[in-house]
Amino acid sequence: MSFIPLAHALASRQDLPIPAWLFAWAASIVLIVSFFALSAAWRKPQLEDEHARPFGRRFSDALLSLPAQVLCGAIGVFLLGVAIYAGLHGTEAPDRNFALTFLFVTCWLGFPFFSAIFGDLFRPFNPWRAVGRAAGGTFAAIAGQRPPHLPYPERLGRWPAAVGLLAVVWLEVVYGASGGVAVGLAPHAAAVAALIYSVYTLAMMAVFGVETWCERGETFSVYFGMFGRLGIFGVRDGRFYRRRPFSAATSWATIPGSAAVVIASIATTSFDGAQEGAFKSAIESTFEWFVDRGLGLTTSLRLTDTVFMLLCFAGVALVYNLGVRGMRTVPGAPDFKKLRTGFVHTLIPIALAYLVAHYFSLFVFQEQAQFGYLLSDPLGTGHSDLFGTVNNEVDYNLLSANAIWYVQVAALVVGHVIGLMLAHDRALVYWPDYRKATASQYWMLAVMVAFTCFGLYLLSVANG
Amino acid sequence: MLPLAHVAHYLWVLYVIPILIVAGAIVRNMATQRRLAREDAEEEAR
Repeated sequence: MSFIPLAHALASRQDLPIPAWLFAWAASIVLIVSFFALSAAWRKPQLEDEHARPFGRRFSDALLSLPAQVLCGAIGVFLLGVAIYAGLHGTEAPDRNFALTFLFVTCWLGFPFFSAIFGDLFRPFNPWRAVGRAAGGTFAAIAGQRPPHLPYPERLGRWPAAVGLLAVVWLEVVYGASGGVAVGLAPHAAAVAALIYSVYTLAMMAVFGVETWCERGETFSVYFGMFGRLGIFGVRDGRFYRRRPFSAATSWATIPGSAAVVIASIATTSFDGAQEGAFKSAIESTFEWFVDRGLGLTTSLRLTDTVFMLLCFAGVALVYNLGVRGMRTVPGAPDFKKLRTGFVHTLIPIALAYLVAHYFSLFVFQEQAQFGYLLSDPLGTGHSDLFGTVNNEVDYNLLSANAIWYVQVAALVVGHVIGLMLAHDRALVYWPDYRKATASQYWMLAVMVAFTCFGLYLLSVANG
Repeated sequence: MLPLAHVAHYLWVLYVIPILIVAGAIVRNMATQRRLAREDAEEEAR
């Protein structure tokens, strides 16, 4: 391809056997074939029931015992404390401070990745839940009654978590945008944000109750718990159990605001992937427009990024709503609101696919730092070597550009096929006649193809 | 030499084509369904 004089060297860095855009075509064909395979072979809902198989009573009791819960909670509180302390008192170099990698890579990416396989792993380690429960238990022991709480406003649903999710990503990629390092936010700012969030969360738990707030308003519980619904393990009625993969996702979106959470996840990942690639020139133009209006450089940059992040949110919501509108045209369709809520869970694997595709390589590289020099020298001041790994550096040759690209393509294709599968299963609930169910799913096929091609386009430009 | 200096700016078109094909197929399918339904209704009316 060297005979074409490309203006800005947008040619891909990988050495792929076919052009990147052909992967989008191939992925679309895979989705279409999967769609027809589902139509032909899947004629009754299979995922509405979790098919729970409880583990033995002794195993469950040991795993869910009070000492085990206290231990997990204490680990969570300790690690949050270390991150905040490192942020406040450690180096200001973002890539040498434990706080940023731990909060924004190990936790922010690790919990979704592993919860999607094993179930909600964050819940037992949630430091705020642990503190809230300990405070509630202490209150009950002293006062002789459980602490009173206000009823949670039903209409508020998961909206606080959705706003919190946007705020977390905004803090990382807009407020902390500096380029050149994995997470550009100043460690001190991250620690202060964690402290403010801790105070806010504990106050909300005191007002509405620990479990109610974790289920609806606590950003990290809701966000990580959402991915945990894809996993194969869960806890119900005090028993630890195995379930059919993805089946728990079908009951996730019954609370208002759930759609906003999953759409915010896809939108923020898209924005982060696009800001240095697909949206770069548009962002630069808008930035200059704000600067020309007399705004400062930093304010203009943050305002521009904020606008584009919100546009991504609106764009993803629009595509999803168009798909739902299309489904409404099929005879026998429920009302729009029910349809929109009923298919929200089909976006969860897409949100996960976007996360894996965009951050898989970052996770692999930064975890070498996490379990290398950051673990031995959390403050990054060079004064400690707790585990003798302070000189372990990141091996950036661990993954080739081609390997990263193939993982990205595979993640997007698999995520969208699972999304199609969940949508087909739910359609069979609303349209027991499988022909009508299939007709309704043409629209979700269009949504999935659109998200797949959009995701691959973002990645191909970002990798270029 | 062909004036292809900025061709990479239009690569997104290649990513839109599969979406257009699927959307086109859906619209065509819908039109066919409606036509068949209309013909059935007319036949019943006769």
